Amino acid sequence: MTVFASQAIHGENTRTDAHGALRGPVYDGVAFEFSDADAIRLAFEGRKPAHAYTRISNPTVTEFENRVRLLADAFAVVAVSSGMAAISNVLMTLAESGANLITTRWVFGNTYSLFEHTFKPWGLETRYVNMADLAAIEAAIDNKTRAIFLEVISNPQLQVTDIAAIARVAHAHGVPLVLDGTVTTPYLFRSKDYGVDVEVISSTKYISGGATTMGGLIVDNGIFEWKQNPRLATSAHRFGPGALVATLRREVFRNTGACLAPHNAYLQMLGLETLALRIERSSSNALAVAAWLESQAKVGRVNYPGLASFPAYELAQIQFPRGAGGILTFELADRNAAFDFQNQLRLIRRATNINDNKSLILHPASTIFCEFGPDEKQAMGVSDAMLRLSVGIEDVNDLIEDLERGLAAL
Amino acid sequence: MLIEINGEKKRFNVPSLSLAELLNSSGVESIEMVSVQRNGEFVSKEEFASVAVIDGDEIDFLYFMGGGSR
Repeated sequence: MTVFASQAIHGENTRTDAHGALRGPVYDGVAFEFSDADAIRLAFEGRKPAHAYTRISNPTVTEFENRVRLLADAFAVVAVSSGMAAISNVLMTLAESGANLITTRWVFGNTYSLFEHTFKPWGLETRYVNMADLAAIEAAIDNKTRAIFLEVISNPQLQVTDIAAIARVAHAHGVPLVLDGTVTTPYLFRSKDYGVDVEVISSTKYISGGATTMGGLIVDNGIFEWKQNPRLATSAHRFGPGALVATLRREVFRNTGACLAPHNAYLQMLGLETLALRIERSSSNALAVAAWLESQAKVGRVNYPGLASFPAYELAQIQFPRGAGGILTFELADRNAAFDFQNQLRLIRRATNINDNKSLILHPASTIFCEFGPDEKQAMGVSDAMLRLSVGIEDVNDLIEDLERGLAAL
Repeated sequence: MLIEINGEKKRFNVPSLSLAELLNSSGVESIEMVSVQRNGEFVSKEEFASVAVIDGDEIDFLYFMGGGSR
């Protein structure tokens, strides 16, 4: 059985539950007991495979990690508390003070804030380039570069770049490529096939099954030789391809308390079961809504990777043959029009999340990017006239009717 | 032969054995999850059956618990 939708429901079908339950129990507790003092010593020394404390590992979280690993065809997966925890944990594992990271300003606002406001005071330099310019990426790399980071489809700019080509540049210089695949998940984009070394995902979004719970995933595709990374060289000597995951589990993930709650892991496993259906509906709805918006005189530029007018349409068709996901942006006359439009909507909710079952609208400039000044917002591709619409799985005619209501007020 | 396993010396009444046989005979649980070093060098799981353990070898194995590692 190799088809995604079947694997998402059945996992490895190992039939290990003592009672034959089709769903495993939720181990929603903190501590695990040992038969004697030597057993707990061995577990702490890493000599015995046993769960000891849920911040470090938990059977329900382990089951979720195994299911994701199967779907991504990855080497290893670590589930964490949020998408931001996934990004911060990976970069803290790969880099040290005095090192640098190559990325783009066209990323999620909180990710940019992590680089500029959190990591910079600790001595991690961030170098910003246009990810469509391979020569610029290559020119920015030096012997202190510890990772190249980008989003599979940037949020909210929706830039699509040639990920396999970027991976080749990264690998030519012994640098790993870290990709945020939140908006595609392994269903729309299997990052391993494009040379991505580590994928980070906010499982709060599509995977949670409708914004049920917070969560994040670190997916090691097993491509990169971690001995090339100075911070992981010792771990690579001991753990080989498991160096990144071992360093996370034995140090960064453990010490930062980035664990996923077991109950969240359970709900996210339920979400995995319907992931393929929901992404297909969300993507087809988004394409229909984008095409409709593009035909409206009161709407300015519509940006969606599935539209023929999208600047990198051909590349998007190659990289995302199953659909381009549920996020689109469009521009109205100005900020006031964007606010007036939102206020007329009845079905589409005004909320800051993406890839929910519900369609959600947001004015990025006054919300996610509010901590940045006008020049920074412009550099980040966020205009005052822009609205971001995360298209859910409602009936598409109801969505268009709601959008008509918003435009009628302008 | 005398092998040091996780810092403790253990005697075996055979001239050599594979790493997989050593792990089995030492009662190592969940072999698919263990990370093994032989004389300070990482040994991949694919090599467990073919790598021979000989007198004087130092074998170290560790688990990093959690799922998704193969």
